[in-house]
Amino acid sequence: MSRVQSRDGVTAGFLAAAVHGFFVLLLVLGVSWQIHDPQPVMADIWQSLPSPARPAPEPGPLPRPVPPPQAKPEPAPDNKAAEIALEKKRKIEAEQLKRKQALEAEKKRLEEAKRQELAEAKRRDELRRQEEELLRQSMEQSLAAESSQIKARAAAARHASEIDKLVARYQDMISAKIRGNTRLPDNLPGNPQVEFKLKVLPSGEIAKITLTKSSGIAAFDQAVLRGIERSSPLPLPEDRAAAERFRDLDIKHKARE
Amino acid sequence: MEISQNLSLLHLILQASIPVKMVMGLLLLASLMSWWYIFLKMFALKRAAENTDSFEKEFWAGADVNLLFQRVSQNREAAGELERIFEAGFSEFLKLRRQAGASVNVIMDGARRAMRAAFQREMDGLESHLSFLATVGSVSPYVGLFGTVWGIMLAFQSLASVAQATLAQVAPGIAEALIATAMGLFAAIPAVVAYNRYTYDVDRLSSRMETFMEEFSNILQRQATKPAA
Repeated sequence: MSRVQSRDGVTAGFLAAAVHGFFVLLLVLGVSWQIHDPQPVMADIWQSLPSPARPAPEPGPLPRPVPPPQAKPEPAPDNKAAEIALEKKRKIEAEQLKRKQALEAEKKRLEEAKRQELAEAKRRDELRRQEEELLRQSMEQSLAAESSQIKARAAAARHASEIDKLVARYQDMISAKIRGNTRLPDNLPGNPQVEFKLKVLPSGEIAKITLTKSSGIAAFDQAVLRGIERSSPLPLPEDRAAAERFRDLDIKHKARE
Repeated sequence: MEISQNLSLLHLILQASIPVKMVMGLLLLASLMSWWYIFLKMFALKRAAENTDSFEKEFWAGADVNLLFQRVSQNREAAGELERIFEAGFSEFLKLRRQAGASVNVIMDGARRAMRAAFQREMDGLESHLSFLATVGSVSPYVGLFGTVWGIMLAFQSLASVAQATLAQVAPGIAEALIATAMGLFAAIPAVVAYNRYTYDVDRLSSRMETFMEEFSNILQRQATKPAA
């Protein structure tokens, strides 16, 4: 009897293990556990964000430094001409002055030109010396102006890099906000990507959303659109120049990264 | 803010907190044990029913009682429950009858007592482990529920520290916790079904044995009142 029982025990043990193995197999194979979930990891990428902003800070400093180099060579020949040919006629001087005036719009230049005109009036008395002096002065002035402009440009560049950082930070903030507000539909096939163009008011509110490139899945487009709508007002930087860049916003939204 | 949603079974179980893991381990053990007993009892009861059938058939077919007794007492290991009851009663009957001066009543009482004792022993063997199945069937859902409640508590606790609560943050925790309930039910349902089935089988066997005992007593009484053996 005991032998029979022990044999039974072994058989029963194997059968019990088999039942559990079968059940686990059923769970693993039968229930579609979501091993690769389509939903939660998403990334928004901004593409060509500041279309007007990139040129905007640069034109400021750039045009200014351009005239001085042009102005600089001119006095030099003038100077030489004055040195070599001691007495030149009034017409040549006037022509040169006119050219200068035409080229330079700045006040300093105008003043200088006036002074030169005065100097011309007194030319018969002490022509060359005065002219030399004036020309030297003008050269110094232009040099000084140039250096100050270089400084200004450097400052502007520094400012621009700060703005860039600020913009990048706020891009992340906006992307996080939209990401948080977007509820993606289940069972998205593949990794769809949708693109929107936004018009953003200075307050951060979204004035207009335009679909620029559909993902081909209407449900996904709608979900992202709703997510963007829910994210209004968007966080915008306090800095005016930085905020300016968010005026027109291009948004690329991918379901997954 | 990457929310991992790897919901594979193994991953979920491994991610569970320690109390939930302990509950799962306990339930797995209970399930394994209960299934082991289920198969063990299934074999034992099936064999008991077969033995009882064959013995009753043989007995009522008019086989010689003395020959049957000899065969059973020589081979007690392979004998079934009913055979052992028969053997106990008949051996006691023979012993008492050999003693001079024993009245029929004394002989019959002795034989009945011997059969009753054998019957109790056999019933004890048949009913063994059934209480374990009953316990697993009634308790393991609660144990599983405890694991689930604990897991859900932890899931919501972790949710409290997150600013933006989404379903995706609680879902894995709840899924992992619900595995405990599933395991509890998996252990309980077969145990309850088996318990009910086996108690019914054991009841039927016991009533058959009691009927046999009564009928055999009558046969023994007839033999005892016979003038001489």
